[in-house]
Amino acid sequence: MYPQQVHDYLVKFFEENECRILNNDGHYINVQLTIDMDKKIMNRPYYWKYLESINGEPNPAQLTLITDQNNLMEGGIKGEVVHFGSPRLSQLFQTTKELGAFVQMYEKVNKFEKNIILTPWLGVNYKISYYSDQTKEMLYSLGINLMTGNLIEEFQESLREVDLDPIMTEGVFHLPYIIKPIRALERLDLVIDNIVQQDDHTWAEEAKERWQKDQEVLEYFYTGIEKKPECYDMERKAMEEQYEARIKIEVLNGGLFYMK
Amino acid sequence: MIIERSSEWKEGFTNRLENLEPWQNWTLYNMNYEIVKANLITDFYGLQSPKYLPNLTPLNHQLKVAETVIERMNGKAILADEVGLGKTIEAGLILKEYLVRGLVKKALILTPASLINQWVEELNYKFYIPAIPYKKNTPIEYYDVVVMSMDTAKKSPHKELIYAQDYDMIIIDEAHKLKNHKTKIYEFVQGLKKKFCLLLTATPIQNNVFELFYLISLLKPGHLGNYEAFQSSFSASKHSLEHDDYLRELVNQVMVRNRRQDTGIEWTNRRVQIIPIDFTKEEKEVYEMISELKNMCPVFSDTFSMITLQREMCSSKEATQLTLSKMREKCVELKEIEYMESVMQKLMALEMNSKAEKAYEIISQANDKVIIFTEYRASQAYLQDYLYSKGITSVLFNGKFSKSKREWMKQLFKEKAQVLIATESGSEGINLQFCHHVINYDLPWNPMKLEQRIGRVHRLGQEHDVHIYNIAIRNTIEDSILELLYTKIGVFEKVVGELDDILTAFKKTI
Repeated sequence: MYPQQVHDYLVKFFEENECRILNNDGHYINVQLTIDMDKKIMNRPYYWKYLESINGEPNPAQLTLITDQNNLMEGGIKGEVVHFGSPRLSQLFQTTKELGAFVQMYEKVNKFEKNIILTPWLGVNYKISYYSDQTKEMLYSLGINLMTGNLIEEFQESLREVDLDPIMTEGVFHLPYIIKPIRALERLDLVIDNIVQQDDHTWAEEAKERWQKDQEVLEYFYTGIEKKPECYDMERKAMEEQYEARIKIEVLNGGLFYMK
Repeated sequence: MIIERSSEWKEGFTNRLENLEPWQNWTLYNMNYEIVKANLITDFYGLQSPKYLPNLTPLNHQLKVAETVIERMNGKAILADEVGLGKTIEAGLILKEYLVRGLVKKALILTPASLINQWVEELNYKFYIPAIPYKKNTPIEYYDVVVMSMDTAKKSPHKELIYAQDYDMIIIDEAHKLKNHKTKIYEFVQGLKKKFCLLLTATPIQNNVFELFYLISLLKPGHLGNYEAFQSSFSASKHSLEHDDYLRELVNQVMVRNRRQDTGIEWTNRRVQIIPIDFTKEEKEVYEMISELKNMCPVFSDTFSMITLQREMCSSKEATQLTLSKMREKCVELKEIEYMESVMQKLMALEMNSKAEKAYEIISQANDKVIIFTEYRASQAYLQDYLYSKGITSVLFNGKFSKSKREWMKQLFKEKAQVLIATESGSEGINLQFCHHVINYDLPWNPMKLEQRIGRVHRLGQEHDVHIYNIAIRNTIEDSILELLYTKIGVFEKVVGELDDILTAFKKTI
């Protein structure tokens, strides 16, 4: 992420969370946090607890975040330097994840169109991680039609074409779903399981081979020793944690989508 | 294969379906997806960490080390670059990579006490890894990355506290401190779970090849076989071994080592020379009287105290006198005491110190900043006096100084004094690139100590050629020290790899 991308991200993030941007010269921003955002990212629970106990006037913080220190227009700006990899940005990514996990969206409909009925979909974005002593991650975006059970891959991409809004256009109707969203979610989970099963798992085989090799070396070290010391078991345990193949499946985000 | 999944999202989704919680923001939903997609680790191979570190420009050899350790050595390795090539950066890159990939959550870094702050600063500011220095009563279970001194870690109750944690990665700096398998620290590290583990040392062999055996057995027990197998298959004795090609091959599977010349960086030259000098007639007489002591008094029959005295005599009368008077108290017979008295008298009557004169000559000729390394505190004090009498300003340095005193002395040396006189214990963790002359006033037994000393000035950032003067007195114990240093360098080069010049520019083959 380049400084410009980081900057745009910050502006968008705070605007969407209703934090007022007081200054923005393209290389730094000065932002007034809302009470909610202060509680989320400023890490000062005692202040808020105290304030609430005395019923005081809340005074959420202002933050100055510098995204491109080399191009600041005015001198003397003091603030936190934010770049890809910095703890602040990681924290905001995490906050974005918490605040952008569940949606319900309706396709916008032109007022002059008549008798439009929207169809419900469940869309879910999955992140799959393979772990041994190495890692690899994949994203899958799946959608399922809650009337027909029809499946779509790359669902998130297909939404780019659609104009969506959290509120349904007036005078438009949507069908009640036949497949319950929770059942549909279970169906998608199975699809993901299937994808994982069909995948090439040479990586796991290879990790196992590395494991076995190390194991043999260890056994050799302790050949002929009747009562093996504690550190032998420790080494075995360390190897298990190091090489054992694991797959982690998590839902990144998802929601209900009503579309034409 | 283990499949982990979480029902967290399902619960949140159910709550929304039942209108218990509000639906969320569509723009943030898309931002979330885009960010995760952009940060996705799409390949088992290659380094992710550099893109998280825009303010750090690792050198090519450092990136290559990180990649090799992760991909070929499965995260367990000895990082043995020559002094000054950035082993800390390499370790930081590897740790960061594992953190980014989610393979390491908790890490423990063990260092000599004097390097704790340096590690904490580098990890925090260069790598954005929130490391904290361990102090008494630090609740370590709440911190993911902890930097601790080896001496603290091996003792109770800290030892038990560490064992109770579940560290994914252990990093040990100056790992040659683990060369002896009978020490507490060795035993402590042996008992640690080492899922990923880095041992950092420029000098994996200091005295003999068994040190490397024990170091590797800590990292990967069995890699060099067990002790008996190792000894018999390499016919290893202390200073010689067979089948060294095969051993080197095995060692290279768990050790990475860059030499200055492999890094593609322009290094200034190292001009190393041995400066042989002779005692004056009077000094020689005292030296011989001292050597004769072993035949006169039973106190001196053990070779160790004899050798110590001889070495001290090669350094200064101040150093010698200290030991000698302690030994005199142990003598009982009149004849012995009389002999000792006469030695002491002759010793105290000495008016000049040939070695100090030589050092002064070198300093005057250099007409520049000079570091002198001596093995003895008494010689250190003497040299300061002596140089002062010649109109040369100097500051003292030793390892017991606190961090602020070290910095202060370094500053004084840089700005005010011409000479810094350091004892051995001062040679780790101080960087003095503004100086280009090093006098080894006394020779240590261990060639790697010489390398560590030279490494204080000959490191990244040095802009001038560096001059090293090894002073040795002819026809004394220092001849044997030189001989042994050559032998040890020979073993090191056979097993670990070539060394930069430390004794002289001319290689002696053994």
